[in-house]
Amino acid sequence: VKRPALWIASSIGVVVALFIGVLATRDAAANRVAPSPLVGRPAPDITGPGLDGAEFRLSSMQGKFVLVNFFATWCVPCVKEHPEMVRFAQGHAAVGDAAIVSVVYDDERADVRRFFAQRGGDWPVVEASGAKVDWGVRGVPESFLVAPDGTVLTRIVGGVTASGLEQLLAQAKGGGR
Amino acid sequence: VKRWLPVLVLLAVLAVALGVGAAREARPSGTSARVTRIAKDVRCPTCEGLSANESDAPASVAIRDQIRAKVEAGYSNGQIRAYLVDRYGQDILLKPSATGVSALVWALPVAGLTAALAGLVLVFRRWRRARSQVAPADAEAGPSTRRSSTSCSTRWPTSTPSGRRATWPTTTTPPCAPTTPPAPRPPSPVSTKTFWRTTGFW
Repeated sequence: VKRPALWIASSIGVVVALFIGVLATRDAAANRVAPSPLVGRPAPDITGPGLDGAEFRLSSMQGKFVLVNFFATWCVPCVKEHPEMVRFAQGHAAVGDAAIVSVVYDDERADVRRFFAQRGGDWPVVEASGAKVDWGVRGVPESFLVAPDGTVLTRIVGGVTASGLEQLLAQAKGGGR
Repeated sequence: VKRWLPVLVLLAVLAVALGVGAAREARPSGTSARVTRIAKDVRCPTCEGLSANESDAPASVAIRDQIRAKVEAGYSNGQIRAYLVDRYGQDILLKPSATGVSALVWALPVAGLTAALAGLVLVFRRWRRARSQVAPADAEAGPSTRRSSTSCSTRWPTSTPSGRRATWPTTTTPPCAPTTPPAPRPPSPVSTKTFWRTTGFW
């Protein structure tokens, strides 16, 4: 083989390019369940003004499964998971067995209002600065599934999908929650 | 007095430094100082190697705000740390706490050092005792009774009285065999194996 160094360098370059291509094009991991000290314990209450200005309390939603979702409009995975959450909320609106609450994470009220106006979603959106630490949130998006009795069931990091949420909900219902 | 002066000066400096440090730690401080002090011991949840005090990541800012709120609400430093551990887990603290299983991180090095020192003291005592037992035995035995193998071999008969050549090995006692038991050997430089045997670990 003539010029072996050129061949070796070219081979390595092709492998690296393929690797980068795979990483750049693959879907981000969704519905990743992560441990949390809160799982199995009563959910910390969330109180604060909603987008409509009315005071919101998470404890008022007891009796149904609640997905507490921490999000920001500047967070790309949050934008990506939003249509999935809309689909999940619509699927359970008639039955009323599950609902979503979004908690604003380091964002402006006007941006959040515009975000929901453009992308849909009619569930409560709360501004509660202390909730991030109360729930041990490390980054966005991060979600917690809360049982009808107010117990934290699951922590999900890095975005959700409607099918993933349905699966978690089915597991929770199967577990007697 | 002149000889001890540098030592006394060093001791005085050490005492003053310790006193100042202790007073500084115990001094009551304002809200901001307390927030800073607590946040310094808290890990930034989203960054590597930074405390919540140093980082401007949203999660760190939120932690600082919450620490401030808790300080203003009258929580103690310990209660605030316990609250953060309760929400994020033990790994949120940069320094492990000195209670429960985490206390082993602090206790084990001290216990290890103490055990090592105790072991050394034990070994040195045994060596000293062994040496003191060897020295009188050497003195009693004296140099005349200890014959070297070289002198024996030179005096060993090369042939038997019958004229036949003696072959080695033989059951015949050599005439120069020492009549007194050989004195115990003095302690030699100790190998690692011997060290652990004498300490009782082997």
